[in-house]
Amino acid sequence: MSSLTFQELILELQSFWGENGCVILQPLDLEVGAGTFHPATFLKALGPENWNSAYVQPSRRPQDGRYGENPNRLQHYYQFQVVMKPSPADFQERYLDSLRRLGLDPLEHDVRFVEDNWESPTLGAWGLGWEVWLNGMEVSQFTYFQQAGGLECLPVTGEITYGIERLAMYLQDVDSVYDLVWSETPTGTIKYGDVFHQNEVEMSTFNFQQADVDHLFGYFEFCEKEAERLVSLELPLPAYEFVMKASHTFNLLDARHAISVTERQRYILRVRTLARLAAQGYVASRAKLGFPLADKDLAEAVLKALAEESAA
Amino acid sequence: MSTQTVLFELGTEELPAGEYEGMANALANGMASGLEQQGLAIGEVTVFATARRLAVLIEDVQARADDTEQEVLGPPVAAAKADDGNWTPAAMGFAKKQGMSADELQIISTEKGDRLGVRKVAAGALCADILRAVVAQAVENIPVSKRMRWGRERHEFLRPVQWLVLLYGSEVIDVSLFGMTSDRVSRGHRFHGQSSVTIANADAYEATLKEQFVIASVNERKALIKAQVEGLVSKDERVVIDDNLLGEVTGLVEWPVALRGSFDESFLTVPRQALISSMREHQKYFHIERPDGELVPSFITISNIQSKHPEAVVYGNEKVIRPRLADAAFFFDTDKETTLASKALRLESVLFQRDLGTLAEKQTRISEVAQKLSQYLGADKSTVKAAGCLIKADLVSDMVGEFPELQGIAGRHYALHDGASEAVANAIEQHYWPKFSGDQLPHSPESAALALADRLDTLIGIFGIGQVPTGSKDPFALRRASLAVIRILLAFAPTANLEMILTTAKQSFPSGVLDEGVVDTVKAYLLDRLPAHYEEQGVSVDILRSVTAVGTETIGDIDCRSLAVASFAGSDAANALAAANKRVANILTKVDETLPAINELLLTETAELALRAALADSQASLDVAVAHNDYPQALSNLAKLREPVDAFFDNVLVNADDASVRLNRLALLQELRGQFLKVADLAVLAR
Repeated sequence: MSSLTFQELILELQSFWGENGCVILQPLDLEVGAGTFHPATFLKALGPENWNSAYVQPSRRPQDGRYGENPNRLQHYYQFQVVMKPSPADFQERYLDSLRRLGLDPLEHDVRFVEDNWESPTLGAWGLGWEVWLNGMEVSQFTYFQQAGGLECLPVTGEITYGIERLAMYLQDVDSVYDLVWSETPTGTIKYGDVFHQNEVEMSTFNFQQADVDHLFGYFEFCEKEAERLVSLELPLPAYEFVMKASHTFNLLDARHAISVTERQRYILRVRTLARLAAQGYVASRAKLGFPLADKDLAEAVLKALAEESAA
Repeated sequence: MSTQTVLFELGTEELPAGEYEGMANALANGMASGLEQQGLAIGEVTVFATARRLAVLIEDVQARADDTEQEVLGPPVAAAKADDGNWTPAAMGFAKKQGMSADELQIISTEKGDRLGVRKVAAGALCADILRAVVAQAVENIPVSKRMRWGRERHEFLRPVQWLVLLYGSEVIDVSLFGMTSDRVSRGHRFHGQSSVTIANADAYEATLKEQFVIASVNERKALIKAQVEGLVSKDERVVIDDNLLGEVTGLVEWPVALRGSFDESFLTVPRQALISSMREHQKYFHIERPDGELVPSFITISNIQSKHPEAVVYGNEKVIRPRLADAAFFFDTDKETTLASKALRLESVLFQRDLGTLAEKQTRISEVAQKLSQYLGADKSTVKAAGCLIKADLVSDMVGEFPELQGIAGRHYALHDGASEAVANAIEQHYWPKFSGDQLPHSPESAALALADRLDTLIGIFGIGQVPTGSKDPFALRRASLAVIRILLAFAPTANLEMILTTAKQSFPSGVLDEGVVDTVKAYLLDRLPAHYEEQGVSVDILRSVTAVGTETIGDIDCRSLAVASFAGSDAANALAAANKRVANILTKVDETLPAINELLLTETAELALRAALADSQASLDVAVAHNDYPQALSNLAKLREPVDAFFDNVLVNADDASVRLNRLALLQELRGQFLKVADLAVLAR
C-alpha cells in the first residue's frame, strides 16, 4: 500500500468524521497552543447543548521550537481535533475505525489505550482518558471532559486529538518530520520541510530571541483588561478571543524566560480567571437563547436551575 | 439444597493499569460478604480482572437463603383471658392480626414472663433477589480514585461502563446499573475477539473468554508474560523483571505477546540509567543485561495482539525508542559542552524553598557543613570541598531535566568529563544515597559527609521555618532524610555528638531565618525515627525509650546500648530487674528530701548489707565496661544484682521508723538505680 500523503491524511480524517456526523470546521485564525482552545471545543463543551465537530488546528508552542534542527519537535504543528457531545457509547470503536481508514490494521499494529489524564491549568479544564499507543508510540489523546472554565461538563464532551505529524511519520515511515511527503504536485514532491522548515527556523529565532518582552508584558495586561471589559459587556466570544491572546502571550514570555518560577504560577492563574469569566459569560449568553442545540429536557432543566440560582 | 455458580462481569473502557486489580478484589469482597450477610452459603470466590473487565465468580451459591423462624409476641398470658375464661379483646386482636384464631396461639416464655405468641417460619429470600441488591452495593463500594461521567447521564465510574453480565448458573439475573441492564453478553478481545460473546453459564466464563483471546486471570497473564519474556533472552543474558513494571504491563493487555526489539549499540555510551528510564518509564519495556551487568542494546515489549506481522510491531517500537534515546544522547552531549562548574552558577536562579533561598545557597551550606563535619567522619576535607561546590550542579542539566532520576548520576559523568577525580565524581553521585529505605549507603566518607550535610540542611531548614511534616504530608521527605542521617552517622560517625552536628548545620543558615529551638526540635524528631530504623532488628520502642531516657549524646552510644538491652531483655533476670527498677523509681520519685551519702554504720540488716556489698562489687567492673561501651558486659554485671535486690525487698523495710535509717536505705536504692541508669532505664521495660 502506498501510504497517504500528509494532506491526504487530513482529508481522510475529515471525511471519516464528517461521515460520523461531525461538523467539519476550519482552523481557528488565532495563535493557540492546542486544538482544545478552539471555541468549537472549549466553549462548546460548556452548557447542555449537543455538538459534534472535527477540524485541523495549527498549534503553537513557542517553547518547543528547535530552529528546525530536531526531527521531532516543532513550535508550530497540527492537531486533528474531534469532539462529540454527548460522547457516544462507541466513541473508542469509531476512533479505531478511523485508524483502519488510514490503513492501520489493529490486527497487525498493536493499539492500546493507556491511562492519561488531561488537565489544562490555564483553561481550568480537566478530563480523564488515555493516550493511544500505536506500537508503543503515542498518536492520539482521548479525553472525556469533566470540567471546563471551572464549570462542570454535562453532557460530557468526548475529545480525540490526533498528532497528525506523528501519525504521518509512522505511515510514511520517515524519521524526520521534515521528510514527510505533503503532496505530489505537477512540479514535484512537496515535503513538510518545503512548507515549514524556514518557518521553524525563523519562528524559533523570534520566539527565543526577538519577541519583544516589554511589549508582550504590556500586551498581556491589555488582553486581560479587554477580556474583563468584554465579559462585562456580555460579549463572551470576543472576550474569549482575548483569553486566547493572553494565553499565547504568556507562552511567548515563557519561551523568552521572562517569567520566574514563582511568577509563572500567578500568570497561569490570571489566564484561568479570564477563561472562567468567558466560560460563565458564554453559558449565560446561550441560556438567553434558550440553548437551541440542546435536547429539550436538558435545556429546560438547566434553564430552570439557572433561574433558581439567579433568584437565590 | 441446590447451588449454582454466580458470575458478575462489569465491562468497561480501559481502566488504569494501577487500579483495576484492586477494584476487582474489592468487588469480590463486597459480593462475597454481601451474600453471606444475606444468609446465603457460598463456595470458592475467584477474581478476574483486565483493563476492560472486572469479574467475580462465586461457586456453590445457595438458590435460596435458609428459612428462618420468627417469634411474634402478643399480650402477656396474664392479660390473655378474662375472669370468665374467655379470650380478652387484646388476645383476640393479636390473633386476628396474625390471621389465626386465639386458640391457635402458643405460650412463649420470655425474660419478662410468659406471653401469648406465634412462631412463624419465614421463607429465605431467593438468591436472584439477594444478588441484585448485593451486586449494586458491591459496585457502589468499589474504591475509585477519580470518578468520571460520560455521555449525557450522571453515572460515575473510573472509566465509562459498557456492559454487565450477571448469571446464576445459566440464568440471567437482571440488575440495572449505570443506565444499563445485565445480560449474558460479554465482549471478547478488542481486536481478536467478537464484540458480542454469549456466556452460556457462569462456569463457562473463563474458558469462553479464552476462546475470545482474553486471559481473564491476572496471575495467569502475569505468569505468561514472565515466561514469554524469559523465553526471549539467551543463556548469557538476563532480563530484568521489575515487579511494578510486570504488574503494569499485565494491566495493559488481555492477550499478552512478548516481542523483542533492539536499538543501536552506540547509545550504550549514554548513562545506563537514562536508557533504562527511557525504556521502563516511558515505554514500559523490560531491559536486558549481560552477566557483568552491562546493558544489552535490546528491549522486550508486551503487545496485546498476536500480530499478523509481529515484525511491524517490533519495527514500530524500535522507531519510538530511537528518538527517545537520541534525545538522551543529545542531552548528554550538549550537557558536556559546558562544565559542571558553570552549571553550578545557574543554581542561583533555582529556588530551593522560598524562605531558605536558592539551590546555590543550599549547595554552599551543604559544602560548608560537610567540611566542618569531615573530621568526625574521617573524610578528606579537600575532596569534600571540591565536590561540595558541584553536587547540585547537574540539577540544571538537560539530562536531569528530562530524567529526574538521573540526579547525581549525570553529575558524576560530567565531573569526570571535566577532569575531576574519581573521588569527587563518586561523592557527587553518592551524596544522594541512600535513595530509599534499605538502599546502600555512600561508600566513601567524603560522600557520606556530603550526604549527611544535605539531609541535615533540609531537616534543619524545613523544621526551622515551621514546616513540620504531618501524618500524610511530608513533601520534603523529612522522614526518609532522618533515617538516612541515622544510618550514615552509625556507619561513619557513631561517636559524633548529635547536638554539635545539628548546631553546625544550623549555623550555616543566616541568623534570624530559623526558629531558635530548631536543634532540639530536629533532635527529638530524629530520636522519634529510631523505632523505624530498628524495626527489623527486633529492637522495640520500649527498649529505645529505656535507652534514650538515659542519654542521647551520640547515635553510636544509643545503638550499642539498644542492641545490648535488646539481647538482654526478655530474660528472667531482665524481667526481674525491670520490675525492681520500676519499684525503685516509684519509691524515689516520692522522696522530697535530698538523700545523704550512704552511711555504712546505719546498714544493719543482712539483706541491705549484702546489697551494699554487691553494689560495691559491681561498681568498678561496671565503670570499666561502660567506659569501653561494652554494654552487654555491663548488663551481665548488673544481672548479678538480681538476687541481692530481691532479697533486699523481701526482707528490708525501706520506710523504717527511724528517719536516718530510712534516708540511708533510700540512698542505697539511689545508688542501685544510678548503676542501672549508666546503661538504660530498665523501669520502662517493666510489664
